[in-house]
Amino acid sequence: MSGAPAFVAAHGLAKRFGSREALRRLDFEVARGEVFALLGPNGCGKSTALALVAGLLAPDAGWVQIDGRPPAPQRGGPAAIGLAPQDAALYRDLTARENLEFFGRLHGLGGAALRRRVDELVQRFGLGPHAGQRVGTLSGGWQQRVSIAVALVHAPALLLLDEPTASVDVQARGAIGALVAELAREGLTLLLATHHLDEAERLCSRVALMREGRALACGTVAELVSALPARAVASVRTADPSALRARAAALGWPVRDWGAPQALSLLLPEPLPLADLVQALQGVPLSALAVQPVGLEHAYRERLADSQPEDFGSTP
Amino acid sequence: MPAMVRVLSQSLAVARRILAEQVRQWRGLLFWALFPALMLLLFGLIYRENPALSAGFSQVPAGILIGGALFFSCLGGTTVILVAERERRTLRRLLLSPLAPAAYFLGIVGALSVVAAGQTLVVVGIAAALGAPYRGSVALGLAVVALSVVAYVGLGFFFGTRFARRAEDVNGPLAALGVPLLVLGGTFFPVSLLPDSLLRAAWFNPVFHMNQALKGVAAFGRTATELAPHLAVLGAFALAALALGVASYRRLLRQERTR
Repeated sequence: MSGAPAFVAAHGLAKRFGSREALRRLDFEVARGEVFALLGPNGCGKSTALALVAGLLAPDAGWVQIDGRPPAPQRGGPAAIGLAPQDAALYRDLTARENLEFFGRLHGLGGAALRRRVDELVQRFGLGPHAGQRVGTLSGGWQQRVSIAVALVHAPALLLLDEPTASVDVQARGAIGALVAELAREGLTLLLATHHLDEAERLCSRVALMREGRALACGTVAELVSALPARAVASVRTADPSALRARAAALGWPVRDWGAPQALSLLLPEPLPLADLVQALQGVPLSALAVQPVGLEHAYRERLADSQPEDFGSTP
Repeated sequence: MPAMVRVLSQSLAVARRILAEQVRQWRGLLFWALFPALMLLLFGLIYRENPALSAGFSQVPAGILIGGALFFSCLGGTTVILVAERERRTLRRLLLSPLAPAAYFLGIVGALSVVAAGQTLVVVGIAAALGAPYRGSVALGLAVVALSVVAYVGLGFFFGTRFARRAEDVNGPLAALGVPLLVLGGTFFPVSLLPDSLLRAAWFNPVFHMNQALKGVAAFGRTATELAPHLAVLGAFALAALALGVASYRRLLRQERTR
């Protein structure tokens, strides 16, 4: 993180549910106005981390501070927090507008102020045609939009989004991504849990790569990507991996086995046209070949491959 | 915003929300009206055909209202509301909101009081048509119904937090714990049939006092002074129910924090 003081600080967070360790000494900090992603596969502890930040769960060890104080839901807390859970968590028999009004009233809004705020959110989230529809009849994408709008009804300083696009179609994913980007541009602090690498890469200023309850690495996308000794990655499928390894070694290109079936990845110093790559790999039986600029996905795979369970103590 | 105003405004918000949901799930409301209506009609037929019983029919409507109507709408209804809150994960949102536990309890009481008022009208109307008119003070009768609603909602909070984590669990505690309370409360037969030991135990049962108070005012036109012992116990139980409800809601939130 830059020199700015942390708005959200989480240090040494640990949480266990029975015999399952959901979080193991997780550290991260989020600056005010930053969009930060907890990125990792299902079950790696992202949602638990969000619940701890929100104060919905108490950590077994470690601490969370928001603006210098521990989160305290229901007692006002240090700063208002909005949470959009993974499952929309709305009243299905109420309309979208009624859900917004209900939660607005709980937060002390009423009369003209409530109407104004609800109208503003309905317009902003494009809910107009659906505002009078029962939430239970809306598609997953629209329910997620309502869910995020509800989380914002009291104008929180921090918005927690738990897998906002996990169960929606591609179109809705795009729309929700655009909304998140817009909120970020307005300076809202956002903490996002996601397993979509492209989403984190597109929307977030910084990312914590998580696995099994810990952060393997933390930094800007550029920082994480620059840790790879490559500017492009060639994914190669071959019937003769030994020949490929030998040829890559001769060319000075590191080879990685990131677990893709029958495919190896070559770390290239520069993006190469496919024809040049085929030429360079002459003599290796190729069944598929693709070249991509190096990205967060590759940085994540590299970190996963590097980290064995016993290495998990090292949080950058 | 002063604390009392905040609690009141949040209670109204909760009550409004629950009523809106109830209206949309109109089948539930229909059954809550149909059940006491059918019970009353059946009892009316049974009593009419049996001269030895017919004199006692005037006490039946109060029992039906307490045991057939409010029991399911207010006790069962509260349990269902809590379980649904947990199942659809809205409890998490409530946890993050400044909703006061007392406001949540009072909101449910408010919403279910409206349902109870509707059920009361149905029962009183049918009873009058069957020859058992309401005889006592309307204000006193409404006070007994209101105290009964609060007591049932408190019990509903207890059942909902202790025994029912999922929708499938709701019927178990209602049948195993609730129905015996109805029987021990003299809901469907005169308490004179209870042996002394059970009668003594019945004094600790809020349903007994609901029945005795409502039967007293509705069937015999008794006054608040005459019904003072039952009203006092019922009032105390309603206060205890409020405390129980708030404590249960807090427990529910704690449970949610460990999920």
